[in-house]
Amino acid sequence: MSKILDELDALLLDWECGELNDAGIERVREILRTDEAAQAHYVQQQMLIAAMGLEADSGLQNPLPIEEKQSEPTRSFSSDLTRSRRPHRRAGYWVAVAASVAFAVMSARLVYWEFFGETRTGSMAAVGRDSGEAVESTSQGVALLTRLVDVQWDDQPAMEVGEAISPGRFALASGFAQVEFFCGATVIIEGPAELEVVSPMMAKVRSGRLRAQVPPAARGFSLTVDDMTVVDLGTEFGLSVSDDGADVQVFDGEVELQSPAAPIRRLTAGEAIKRTDSGEFEQSTIQPERFLDSSSMASRAEGQRQQNFERWKAWSQSFRGDPRVIAYYAFDEPSDWRRRLPSTKDPSTTLDSSNTPNQHDRELDGAIVGARQVKGRWPEKGGLEFKHPADRVRMQIPGEYSSLTFSCWVKIDSLDRWYNSLFLTDNYNQGEPHWQILDTGQLFFSVRVSSEDGGPEHREVLSPSFWDPSLSGKWIHLATTYDVPNQQVVHYLNGSEIHRESIPDHQLVPVTRFGPSTLCNWSSPLRPDAHFAIRNLNGSIDEFAILSEALDAEQIQEIYEYGKP
Amino acid sequence: MEPTGNIESPRGKSERFVRQLTEHQNRLYGYVYSLLGDHARASDVVQETNLVLWRKIDEFDPEKPFVPWAFATARFQVLAHLRDQNRDRVLLDAELAESLSGQVSDQASQIDSVRQALRGCMQRLSEEHQQMLHSRYSTGKPIAEMATISGRSVSSIKVSLMRIRRQLSECIENRLATEADK
Repeated sequence: MSKILDELDALLLDWECGELNDAGIERVREILRTDEAAQAHYVQQQMLIAAMGLEADSGLQNPLPIEEKQSEPTRSFSSDLTRSRRPHRRAGYWVAVAASVAFAVMSARLVYWEFFGETRTGSMAAVGRDSGEAVESTSQGVALLTRLVDVQWDDQPAMEVGEAISPGRFALASGFAQVEFFCGATVIIEGPAELEVVSPMMAKVRSGRLRAQVPPAARGFSLTVDDMTVVDLGTEFGLSVSDDGADVQVFDGEVELQSPAAPIRRLTAGEAIKRTDSGEFEQSTIQPERFLDSSSMASRAEGQRQQNFERWKAWSQSFRGDPRVIAYYAFDEPSDWRRRLPSTKDPSTTLDSSNTPNQHDRELDGAIVGARQVKGRWPEKGGLEFKHPADRVRMQIPGEYSSLTFSCWVKIDSLDRWYNSLFLTDNYNQGEPHWQILDTGQLFFSVRVSSEDGGPEHREVLSPSFWDPSLSGKWIHLATTYDVPNQQVVHYLNGSEIHRESIPDHQLVPVTRFGPSTLCNWSSPLRPDAHFAIRNLNGSIDEFAILSEALDAEQIQEIYEYGKP
Repeated sequence: MEPTGNIESPRGKSERFVRQLTEHQNRLYGYVYSLLGDHARASDVVQETNLVLWRKIDEFDPEKPFVPWAFATARFQVLAHLRDQNRDRVLLDAELAESLSGQVSDQASQIDSVRQALRGCMQRLSEEHQQMLHSRYSTGKPIAEMATISGRSVSSIKVSLMRIRRQLSECIENRLATEADK
């Protein structure tokens, strides 16, 4: 690389940081005026930054946050708070502006045109500017992934059902994916397939077999193959793209084929046409059975779901016999629980003081207060929904332990409270753990160090924020391990580590205990700090366990893999 | 007399227009940003451009490519912005912007491919480098702050950022080139 380009890069970085003085600006201009290679380099670098801005805004490449520093003392709370809120200023701003202008143009234009025949632009500008100010959380998806059957991904990160698809490459090595575009079109894609999702109304197809169902509201949805565009006029059609051409088959309704070289063609139900790789059109016959339709897709997905449920059930059966289980609630009986949350821990694993199996396992049953019984991750199993400040499950967990693992499957609707409880002991005495989520979306774990005021402060282990609105209403797995010998706390989301922190000697509590405790709420409103004593979760839970050992990453991953719906 | 079938209704036209405008926002942003080198100003100018385009909807011809029309409009907006004497300092002068505008439109038309390539290239960076880019370009953290957090000097952060950027743009260029060969 030439010296000039190095110099230009340094100047541009200074400019970007707002540190470039007049002489520097003049130097940039001079370089660009005289050096053609520098011009090309400039354009390339700027496009990279623009692209990064767009990416940042789409939230796509948000690498797992690495812990920035471990030495922060317990009062780091507020700085974590500000750190974890992802500022959307710059790039986010323009997207909101663009979207609002487009929307305002669309809606106002239509209304004005129809009723007044003409429209003024002044008010439009105001609308665009005002709504642009609101830094609203944006979701950059253009489609939703709604079903997956036996999917292997092709050189791209694995995606889960319910995830939004952003513009870009979407490729399956095998299996079936059902994608619902935000315009309303549903497309079933059979791998191997490669697409480029462009907008809520459009995707480019490089290869693969697709079936698109386009209700009237989504008319105009189009798929393009090279320079040919298949525009849907409200219909159901199949498109198969391979090296020797593109095959379009219309099962219902009508589609329009547009390509620069040929006049627009319309195909109606029962017609099929093939465009060879040389660009010629040939009649062909329709074979709807070659394209998986949505009801077969549904039954295949259902089959897989059933299979997953059976797998989880088998896993859960063996898990409840694990001697490390302190308490376990599988919520596996969908029947009426008579306001009791039955403990699913295998009683024979509990040894009482005389070393005989403890038969009084019912002691661990939780008492449901308020919380509503709902369906869990699978309709065959139950869950509990917490909505009101009083909703809770009370439990009484005897014994003393050391290291711990907390694991639960939870569906969070929103984080309304300052502290949103997962599991809290009533009194928070010495050795008692608190496990909750802050309104910033950070997972929080602490163990009380000393019962006396003025004793050493407890250690708040906060993960970076894992929450974003796209997780709302989705079943997620959360786990935290408290490892006494290694003096570490580790937080996990969906089987992956999100934070790890060492506990210094003076904040390490070797003996842990629970006693009267509460799931998804707190039962200690009499404390002086009662102003934030309302800690009920706004969401549902359908599996919860505490173990007397800090599980390692692999074991947490296993719980997640078996429990994934 | 009733309008004949081949005259599109105003509603259909504005729908097509909005669809095009929305679809090409990223390209417009890439174009404007590259000539201004500033996110906040680029946002403003893109917004102005959107409004101007909309006011000129009568000139909008669904049969003609949208992007060149939008870029031409954006170009005027950028030049007007640069010529405005009351502005704070700007990076390029109008003359330079004009002479770069051709190259910029070429690059900006393919910004979606750039983004796609970027995603792949990001994955190849070390986690530490990804994290640096994220701090700087997603959360907009000042370099001084990044330096304090990581315990490094400002100039060493700058040198790293420049290297990572260089590495990324080379990777992107390669990817785009292979893409074009396919």
